[in-house]
Amino acid sequence: MAGLILRGHFPRRQLVQVVVANVFRYMFRGAARNWFRNLGSAAPALSSMTLLLLLSGLVGLAGFALHNVEQVQATQASLLHVYMRDDATSAEVDSLWDRLANDPRVANVTYVTRAEALARAQGLPGLAQLAFASDSNPFPASLDVRVKNIDDVATIHNLVRSDIAVDPVYPTSYDRGAYQRIQAFLIGITVAGFVFLAVLGFVAITVTINSIRAAIHSRRDEVAIMQLVGAPRWMVRGPFVVEGAITGALSGAAAGLITFGLAIAAIAAGSASFTQFAPGVTVTVAAVAAAIVFATGLGLGSGSSLVSVRRHLES
Amino acid sequence: MRPILEFEGVTRAYGPRLALDDVNLALEPGELAFLVGPSGAGKTTLLKLINREIRPTKGAVWVDGISAHNLKTARVSELRRRVGVVFQDFKLLPRLTAMENVAFALQVGDLRVSDQEASERALDALDAVGLGDRGGSFPHQLSGGQQQRIAVARAVVAQPPLLIADEPTGNLDLETSWEMMDLFADIAAFGTTVLIATHNVEIVRRLQRRVLTLVQGRLVRDQPAGRTGRMAWLASS
Repeated sequence: MAGLILRGHFPRRQLVQVVVANVFRYMFRGAARNWFRNLGSAAPALSSMTLLLLLSGLVGLAGFALHNVEQVQATQASLLHVYMRDDATSAEVDSLWDRLANDPRVANVTYVTRAEALARAQGLPGLAQLAFASDSNPFPASLDVRVKNIDDVATIHNLVRSDIAVDPVYPTSYDRGAYQRIQAFLIGITVAGFVFLAVLGFVAITVTINSIRAAIHSRRDEVAIMQLVGAPRWMVRGPFVVEGAITGALSGAAAGLITFGLAIAAIAAGSASFTQFAPGVTVTVAAVAAAIVFATGLGLGSGSSLVSVRRHLES
Repeated sequence: MRPILEFEGVTRAYGPRLALDDVNLALEPGELAFLVGPSGAGKTTLLKLINREIRPTKGAVWVDGISAHNLKTARVSELRRRVGVVFQDFKLLPRLTAMENVAFALQVGDLRVSDQEASERALDALDAVGLGDRGGSFPHQLSGGQQQRIAVARAVVAQPPLLIADEPTGNLDLETSWEMMDLFADIAAFGTTVLIATHNVEIVRRLQRRVLTLVQGRLVRDQPAGRTGRMAWLASS
């Protein structure tokens, strides 16, 4: 057997296990240990990011509700109620109905009798008591005209207001500029929300970057040794990114849970007024919002620390 | 035989000041050489160029066949795994034991090394520097000489072909310094090239190894091993 070199097989699976164990130990366990050790410097980042994410979650839910409100308003704004005179004849109403139905700007026309109008009013919050208060029916019959383009509502209003079948005092439900006012209000709210979150986001990211910078400074000897013994760059930088991710994940989890809790509490209150303020916000929507808040925290923490590492850690 | 370390016309400038000026040298495997010169002569700059902490302004630096002068950042770790480094201030991690300090360097440099293998090799390295029985001690429980030995064990545990030491005896008494030099000589005898930057004239004279003398960034003298020459830089140090 002289001269024969026997090479031992190093099982690939065992090698993978060793590499995974070492990566876990030095990147994740080490990062978690150092994060707890440097909790003092991570605390400002943790609190500012939690605040940012919580407000983001709440603003997001509010935005979702406002978006739904806008959709409802847009739908309602494109529906024009043309009120009939009490003494309008069927022929006059039919004639107007034909004109509107054949107009290319109109999607559809529905005739609502006085009884149907009363029944509809009785189902609306706030109007129910008013509807029941009187023995006589105060609601007029109407043609409900769905306009294809919301900008044509004014044109249809002008077209029908002088028709013989239409009530001359209160011809339609058209309220010039109502929808535009709502839109302007929503845009204002949205812009203000984004500016507020941008400022808060800037603060949270800056604080996180500085906390990672402090962590790098406190472990400069360890970093220097890792670099000198030839640790790969990702191995040197990785633990700091993981530390940032821990900060982000904990902030995200806290903010997500609070967001979810507040949304659930609001839903549970179950008041009729709430459905007016936050239409469309359900348990599922709240859970999705909480998950998004968590993921945003994770991404924000990792991203901020990556920026810090690239800026403050020499290679 | 291919040199382990080679400098070809290396110049390094910091602004208008030349820290190294057209330096040429080569070190063979197993060679032990001293790098001497007054403060500010460029010794540390030369060591930093070897380890690619900085790049030369001009010229080429070859370390075990790797071109350190134009090495991309992503490949620097590959170079550094071939160079062990010992510092004057030891740079041990205070929260880790002697054994853990050595094993840490081994594992972060090569993730394929298992815990068991790291422990065995760290123990071997500590044995080699005479501290096999102090593996469980923390740095603050050890003397300066012992800490420097641990630093040497950490530098050689991955068996790099080149070991550089920057004033390794600067914080040690003379007796301990001699022990350190014996250790470096042993390491060189096993085939590792050792380059030691030092101010310790007594050691340099008595060991009679190769001496590279830097003055104001220029390699003014390359004295082969076995000769005892005048050290011109002493006049200016």
